[in-house]
Amino acid sequence: MTAKAFIRVARWGGITLAALAAAAACVVLRRGPVLFADGWFALDALSAFHLGVLALVFGSASWFAEPYFEGTLTPSQARRFAALWFGAFCAMVLVLCCGNLGLMWVGIEATTLLTAFLICTHVTPLSLEATWKYLVVCSVGVAFAFMGTLLVAASAHGLQLDASSTLLWTQLRERAVFLHPGTMKLAFLFLLVGYGTKAGLAPLHGWLPDAHSQAPAPVSALFSGFMLNASFYCLLRILPIAEAATGNVGWARGLLVFFGLASIVVAACFIVFQHDSKRLLAYHSVEHLGIIALAAGLGGLGTFAALWHTLNHALCKALAFFCAGRLGQAYGSHDLRRMAGALRAGRLWAAAFFASLLALIGVAPFAIFMSELQILRAAAERRAFIAMAVFLLGVSVVFVGALKHALVMAWGEPVQRPEPEKESVGTHVLVWGMLGMLLVLGLWLPTPLSDAMRAAAGIVEGRP
Amino acid sequence: MIESHALADAVMALLLITNLLLLGFGYLNACVRAVALQGLVVGLLPLIMGGGSPLWRVAALTAVGMGIKGVVFPRMLSKLLRDVEVRREVEPFVGHGLSIALGVGAMGFSLWVSSKLGPLVAARNAWMISAGLATLLVGLFLIVSRRKAVSQVLGYIVLENGVYTFGLATVGHVPLLVELGVLMDAFVAVFIMSIAAYHISREFNHMDVDLLDKLRD
Repeated sequence: MTAKAFIRVARWGGITLAALAAAAACVVLRRGPVLFADGWFALDALSAFHLGVLALVFGSASWFAEPYFEGTLTPSQARRFAALWFGAFCAMVLVLCCGNLGLMWVGIEATTLLTAFLICTHVTPLSLEATWKYLVVCSVGVAFAFMGTLLVAASAHGLQLDASSTLLWTQLRERAVFLHPGTMKLAFLFLLVGYGTKAGLAPLHGWLPDAHSQAPAPVSALFSGFMLNASFYCLLRILPIAEAATGNVGWARGLLVFFGLASIVVAACFIVFQHDSKRLLAYHSVEHLGIIALAAGLGGLGTFAALWHTLNHALCKALAFFCAGRLGQAYGSHDLRRMAGALRAGRLWAAAFFASLLALIGVAPFAIFMSELQILRAAAERRAFIAMAVFLLGVSVVFVGALKHALVMAWGEPVQRPEPEKESVGTHVLVWGMLGMLLVLGLWLPTPLSDAMRAAAGIVEGRP
Repeated sequence: MIESHALADAVMALLLITNLLLLGFGYLNACVRAVALQGLVVGLLPLIMGGGSPLWRVAALTAVGMGIKGVVFPRMLSKLLRDVEVRREVEPFVGHGLSIALGVGAMGFSLWVSSKLGPLVAARNAWMISAGLATLLVGLFLIVSRRKAVSQVLGYIVLENGVYTFGLATVGHVPLLVELGVLMDAFVAVFIMSIAAYHISREFNHMDVDLLDKLRD
């Protein structure tokens, strides 16, 4: 088979799998939770919502893979990409579908291992460096999450559960108040550090900018759009259990707020001075994961906003990475200063990149602005004024910093004039479709979607 | 159960000794052999802990654990060392004497921590918990204090051994499927790290990870 054929398999296979995942998510959302294999596999509104986000990101990234990789891969590289691409999807589905915390960990570790070589699809010294850092940092980080998982099992000693159901979150959730509080606290700390590393929460985000900037654009989109959220999903799963076990005093939530604010601040500092388009987007991921963690930590209205923000961010960031990737190919560099004036040259990708950057920094009426507004309301409701102030400060710094880069990219004095772009109708449909969704979600939230998010938020809040 | 306790103590002592050997050895081949010994020792643990689980389960876990940790990992690493033809000295950032002293410190610290872990220790195996924690800390130390990519893989294996020991001590029986999944992940992780290290040495003509510093802000 030629490289083209492998990439085509990845594209259509990916779109089919995404459609299946989306269908499964819809079935679960309509019919209610599904349990099978003695609760080892369990899907409820929270998993179904995340499955839907995964379907969106994976489907669009598969769609984009064909124009992006065209003519750049050898057959063996293309075959490896296709195999790992499907493998990564299966690992993420495993994380979302399993009801056993141990198996969930196996899934997260599998995503690290399967995606490592996606970063160096094009083997270069820099991509190898990024791959190595990603492998070591994430494997070691996630090992801590396994310690946490073991401690969760240890905290359930008093429950007299049989061996095969010790780690089922369905069981633990119902009996959470009987778990040993001290051990559970220790367990949550380990899980937060472990899954937080993989989710890119500061100060554990060291691997993230390197991996996101060196990976090919569809892979960066999958990383940023969903892999980080897959890891954060594990924390959302454990959050109600940890809260109930420690007496619902907001101990675990407080930690999430702290890590969330730290991520926002750290990301803001780096965004101001960042000229590499993909690294800029990578720091935006740190910022937005921080915002999601903050919102989940605030609880109440914030939990709903966290889930909404997850969807908005995934959509927006996937699109932004597509644009950055294509512009990088056209200009031969990811430096924003070399892309100066791209919008004046009338390029599809420059227009979409500019729009997605505006959406990312929270310009109204895009969806991210609306979810951030909800988070502010949640903070006001909780009277968390310090968190609110830090959040506003961080977001404002990001706004100004990123806007400056975006304006140079769009209307600056051109440094070079690349070949005119020839994009197929399908690509135009993808780009305008994603932008349209971001706009529509900002103006109008369809009832089935808001119902799904409300049900999922209820699960995170501990109201099954 | 008395013999089994004595046996468990002996195994823990071996585990701690291999930790110190890893910190002290100056050649990568010797470190690989120490990791092989540690893998065999840790792989034996389910058999010693046995109590209460069906025999087939214990046998399966012991066989898979010893096979992967004691035989497959060392083989992969020796093959890697043969293929990449790097210099075999460890070249640590922290001297061997200080490393060993820190290793002993880690043991003391783990003993202190496990004495604080009330409910877990009351169950049993305080000794094993502290050995597991000490191994984990030594693994972390090996990862951050060594220059060669191979040493980081070694450190990762030691860290995994620590987590495995800790898990057996605190939980006893994690479901077999989870246990096998974890072993599988560790296996694939080491496999993939070896391939990545091989590519790095091909691309850069060295595998000193401290020289991988082009990506930074």
